[in-house]
Amino acid sequence: MATKPKVAICWLGGCGGCDEAIVDLNEALLGVADAVDIVLWPIALDFKYHHIRSMADGEITLSIINGNVRNSEQEEIAKLLRQKSQLVLGFGACACFGGTPGMANFRTKQDILNWVYKDAPTVVNPNKSRPQTVTRVDEGELTLPEFYETVKALNQVINVDYYLPGCPPPTDLIATAITATLENKLPLKGSSLAPHKSLCDSCPRNETKPLKIKIDEIKRIHEIEASPDTCFLAQGVICMGIATRDGCGTSCININMPCRGCFGPVEGVKDAGLKMISTLAAIIDANNDTDIEKITSQIADIAGYSYRFSLPTSMLGALKKRDGTQGEQVG
Amino acid sequence: MWKTSETGGAHVEQAIKQLLPPCQIKCPINEDIQRTNVLISLLPNTMEEARGGIIQIGEHLYERNPLFNICGYVCGLCELECNYKNEGGAVRRRLLKRFLSDTYTDYLKEKPEAIIVKDRGDIAIIGGGPSGLMAAYQLSKLGYRITIFESGDRLGGALWLIPEYRLPKAVLSTTVENLIRIMGIDVRYNSKLGEGRTTVKRLINDGFKAVFIAKGTPNARQLTFGKDIVEGQELSGVMYGLDFLYEVSHGNISPDYFKNKKIIVIGAGNVAFDTARTARRLGGDIAMVCLECEDKSHRDGIPADIDEIRGAWEEGIKIHASRGVRKISGKSGKFEKVHCPRCTRVYNEKGFNPEFDTNDEIVLDGDIVIITIGQAADRELLKKEGLLDELGRLSADPHTLQSQVNPHVFIGGDVRRVGFMVEAMMEGITAAESINQYLNGENLKTVKKDYEPFGLPERPMYKQPTEVLWIPPEKRLHFQMFEKGLTLREAIDEAKRCATCGPCVSCKACISIGFEKSLYAVKVDEAKCSGCGVCVYICNYDSARLKSKDGKLTSDTDIFRCKSCGMCVPACPSSARQLVDDLTAAKISKTLTELA
Amino acid sequence: MKKLKIVCFSCKFSWGYLTDDTLLAADIKNWVPIICAGKIDPEYVVEAFTRGADGVLILGCPEGDCHYQDGNLEARKRLAILRQALLTHGIRPERVKLVLSRNPDGKDIPVYISEMAKTISSLNQEPVSTERTS
Repeated sequence: MATKPKVAICWLGGCGGCDEAIVDLNEALLGVADAVDIVLWPIALDFKYHHIRSMADGEITLSIINGNVRNSEQEEIAKLLRQKSQLVLGFGACACFGGTPGMANFRTKQDILNWVYKDAPTVVNPNKSRPQTVTRVDEGELTLPEFYETVKALNQVINVDYYLPGCPPPTDLIATAITATLENKLPLKGSSLAPHKSLCDSCPRNETKPLKIKIDEIKRIHEIEASPDTCFLAQGVICMGIATRDGCGTSCININMPCRGCFGPVEGVKDAGLKMISTLAAIIDANNDTDIEKITSQIADIAGYSYRFSLPTSMLGALKKRDGTQGEQVG
Repeated sequence: MWKTSETGGAHVEQAIKQLLPPCQIKCPINEDIQRTNVLISLLPNTMEEARGGIIQIGEHLYERNPLFNICGYVCGLCELECNYKNEGGAVRRRLLKRFLSDTYTDYLKEKPEAIIVKDRGDIAIIGGGPSGLMAAYQLSKLGYRITIFESGDRLGGALWLIPEYRLPKAVLSTTVENLIRIMGIDVRYNSKLGEGRTTVKRLINDGFKAVFIAKGTPNARQLTFGKDIVEGQELSGVMYGLDFLYEVSHGNISPDYFKNKKIIVIGAGNVAFDTARTARRLGGDIAMVCLECEDKSHRDGIPADIDEIRGAWEEGIKIHASRGVRKISGKSGKFEKVHCPRCTRVYNEKGFNPEFDTNDEIVLDGDIVIITIGQAADRELLKKEGLLDELGRLSADPHTLQSQVNPHVFIGGDVRRVGFMVEAMMEGITAAESINQYLNGENLKTVKKDYEPFGLPERPMYKQPTEVLWIPPEKRLHFQMFEKGLTLREAIDEAKRCATCGPCVSCKACISIGFEKSLYAVKVDEAKCSGCGVCVYICNYDSARLKSKDGKLTSDTDIFRCKSCGMCVPACPSSARQLVDDLTAAKISKTLTELA
Repeated sequence: MKKLKIVCFSCKFSWGYLTDDTLLAADIKNWVPIICAGKIDPEYVVEAFTRGADGVLILGCPEGDCHYQDGNLEARKRLAILRQALLTHGIRPERVKLVLSRNPDGKDIPVYISEMAKTISSLNQEPVSTERTS
């Protein structure tokens, strides 16, 4: 009998949602479990890191890694799995682009630690304690991984062969990806296993949207009773769908919430946020300074909204903060 | 799509439906209006620095239209169709041309002679007016040797009848004289068709390969009332506008010729107003009588240009509109009164068919009556030359202008159909093309060009036209120009208003000044395009559009409307649009990599 | 004082078209003449900062004068929003400047650049604070 291919599923800096999404395969999961040999899955199974370390290089056929990298343990495990695997699939927005924790990159590490351990209104820390990488206690030495300066996406620490975006990726794409791997029908390395176009391509509201969307007032989703049939942009609500890769099945749109961009940029685009900025500017209907000022000041937080999932891999995210780290909010 | 040549010009296969901005469609010779507007808007700030550029622009216009100097004083048809007219006012193209001719007319005197080998044969042109001159020019360029047979003692034809306060004589004479000099055209003055060796038959026998008849309309129309010729036109004191203006143009009329005289001018076309305002400047007290009504928006409205009507009114000329002339009466052979019944209607379904109410008649007295109701060709002469068909009509193919009675003869200009100066010029160009094809043994073109006009691009704001200043009426009763031309600054600002409605293929100004190497085609990557429509919104020229493909919407480009401005490229959220062969992004990358 | 690197984009229809480009380029470093300010992708601005620029200056046509109708307006809208994003990430909006005017001989371009350098140089001296304001 041929040995079953070995598959590792591992979380790094993630929330558990991606692992949950795999569990959501339901009955199909059992089929997968029959076809492969899962050698690591911290949320569900009891294998340990040393099991992986003892394997030969390339012994694992596919490692499905979700979560971003922000500490030394996450980097270590990512590199370990890379070494031992033939293929690595970056699973979910955190692995692919950095994910929502990536927004931490709008601050410095110093800023974050100060807030959490000193400045936040609910902090009580009279001893000014801070987490240390090494702490001596009577029983011996306690260690913590090193907390890095920035959040990184998976491909900023190891080579990633395939990407499956989403927060989390939808079950149908997961099933397709796993099947394609097992049947050896994967596209070129480096590909995303999701459609190439933007969400507008499959959005049910695309056909009824006006040919010329002209935004003369920007509203946040909670400020209006959004019509369930009309394009959000046409209603003045910022929807990232226009600059976000398709494939999620318009799950947010279907419950009358605008897209937040968890599938990252469209194929071939490096920075979804800059595209969103360009596009939003193009469809704002303002012919003079006063109107431009008025409408753009209605945008609550363009950086946070457009880079919610993708700051670490974006062009903006790579810039050095030169003028202060407060990251002042506008508007 | 676009291909570039070494000169950086873009070539597009000739479309059967020609795409032009509406101003260039209206212009009978389809002049490069848009391109010259853009070039003028980019002139330097001082006349000293701008002179070279102005002459370059002029040279480009001269290539197709050696009479363009004159257009800037007397034409302006293009402005009637300028898309900007609905947003505050047409671009003042006529004044822009006048601005060019202010410098270019002087330059004409030094413009070098053209070096053309004239070995393709001799062509005779009867009539040295705008039509004949244009034909002479075009045929000379093609290598024919031209002889113009002009019946008078000067070239220019009916242009001489335009009063000096509208067209300075120096501009007219410099333009036509230098045209002859530059192109090496032979002119025989005082040579009338039908006399001596100047008949069609003899000209052909003498070796001219073709004859172009452009002798205009020398005969003034007589006044009629219904079917009858109005009595009294032979009285002393009754004259015709054409003859009057002719004498004025020859300097035969003294400056206060009409002082203390009451003059009645009959007619309401531009020539009638020329007559009336000239007479006014000769000291007369002028009243005009015309069939047409005052409401210019009505079919029966006064046909003259609104500026003429306004000028006349300012100069104290009284207009009796909606009046016909039933009779001109006099005493002892001298004119005394005109009898004018009310004209109730000028045109009906059949055309020009005035109706009168003779119970409502006014009587105007005066010293002189000048009749200016139109002009006609010399049909007797044309008949003698064998150019009328069996029904007595001057027969020439309306597209090729070739006579259908005598294939060596071509006919154009006012003699064939009375029209504007520039229409006559176009017929000169057409006749030249036809003659060339005929002598080459080719089939003459009969395809009429079909033009599609473009609309005004969307823009955030519209500007008012430059104000045109006229000398106040009490100070302008002389024959100097009363209209103030544009300064360099005004010309640049006015030219900048041009919204460049027309397609790039009809312009290419940006390439001729080196802003772009070529016009880039837009390529849409349909694998990326989701049909979101942002490109449609940002495009101001209606070029980016959505089309249906396999049940989905996808972005498309109308290449004839695209201006290669590149604004749709950054706006596309999927980077699905790009300008082919555009090196801007590469140049930016290089500059950023080598930051100094 | 450290020499500042300013990248300058200028629209061909209003800036420097009366002077030969190579002559102007001798006085203007990091210069990109472009056919329309509306063609400037925010990616170019961010890339400039990525490559070490201290500021980006965009010289466009006066209001109402854009040859392509509203390129200067598009640039204004785009930059207004881009500046908000840059600010969140810790880059002051003064580092991206848009001037809508005309200067056919282009002789003023170095002046605008040095004026911008002056404005930015005062920014560079602000201490990078680690205190969080509320």
